[in-house]
Amino acid sequence: MKFLVVDDSATMRRIVVNSLQRIGYNETVEAADGVEALAKFDQSICFIITDWNMPNMSGTELAKAIRARADGQSVPVLMVTARSVRDDILVAMEAGVNNYIVKPFTPAVLKEKIDALLPAAA
Amino acid sequence: MTTNRTQAVLYESEAALRLVDHELNELHDVEQPDTPAPVLITGGVDGLNEVAAVLHRANSQIIAVLARIREGRAAIESTAVGRVKMTQDKLREVTSATEDAAINIMDACDRATTLVDELDSIDANETADRAKAAELRGSLRDELFLMMGALQFQDITSQQLAHASSVLDEMEARMLAVAKLFDPSISLAVPLTEAVTDNAASSFDANATMRDSDCRQALADEIFTAAKGQAA
Repeated sequence: MKFLVVDDSATMRRIVVNSLQRIGYNETVEAADGVEALAKFDQSICFIITDWNMPNMSGTELAKAIRARADGQSVPVLMVTARSVRDDILVAMEAGVNNYIVKPFTPAVLKEKIDALLPAAA
Repeated sequence: MTTNRTQAVLYESEAALRLVDHELNELHDVEQPDTPAPVLITGGVDGLNEVAAVLHRANSQIIAVLARIREGRAAIESTAVGRVKMTQDKLREVTSATEDAAINIMDACDRATTLVDELDSIDANETADRAKAAELRGSLRDELFLMMGALQFQDITSQQLAHASSVLDEMEARMLAVAKLFDPSISLAVPLTEAVTDNAASSFDANATMRDSDCRQALADEIFTAAKGQAA
């Protein structure tokens, strides 16, 4: 299962990738913003984990763009972000995000959210 | 003082004061009554009394402009003080977050060192307890992973600092606007801070924080769970 990890912070990308490896997911592709992520998205990507605040294209804009694609309708999108007010969470949901993790997060929370979305990924 | 010289001084003073007043109007967004047209004194000055009247009028106008300058300063102060205080709070939070992360990492290092010592003692034993060693290695990996997770502070604090920088940019622009009232040619040879572009502004959340992550996660879970319940 290949994960697309999107965050403009190299530190956060590494932490997310390390967390995925910890729970058994070793195949990852990284992108530093939504534009790069969109370019790297293809049918081999089974799961997207994205930040919100990024230059060029935000996480919510990326989610909308993915959902607009025929091959992006059902791929799970998990947002991992510092934003945590109610209105922001609702905006993310409306953009097509399947679930939401608030930074800083624990590996247990990441695993819980991925496991909950796995049937959709399968 | 000759009549012509008096006229010239008065005309120049009034023109300068009207320019300053106009600029302050734009800064403060307060409608002002029409300023009177400059009065040119023509013909002869009838004694020192008229000179005194002219200077008195100029003085009144200067006092009025100074009052407008004070209003402008108050307007800037009222908006800037709140933002600066918020920025100071954010910077204190950055200090606190980095300190907490450093302590967490050092604590994990201490625990990891203890685990390595235990592994050494098992290794030194002729009848090595392999199960115990495997357990210790697992615990050691947990501690190392905790250190990795503690480094999330870098992302949060960088967003907090980016926000503080954007506030400084705004303050710089406001102060420059006020300085230009007195000298339109003034400019900074080197900007005090690198201007935050719109693209860079989208890269940080002004409310990013390390605090209360459990409560904030609980809110997100509540909203998504409720939405799924409605969809079902």
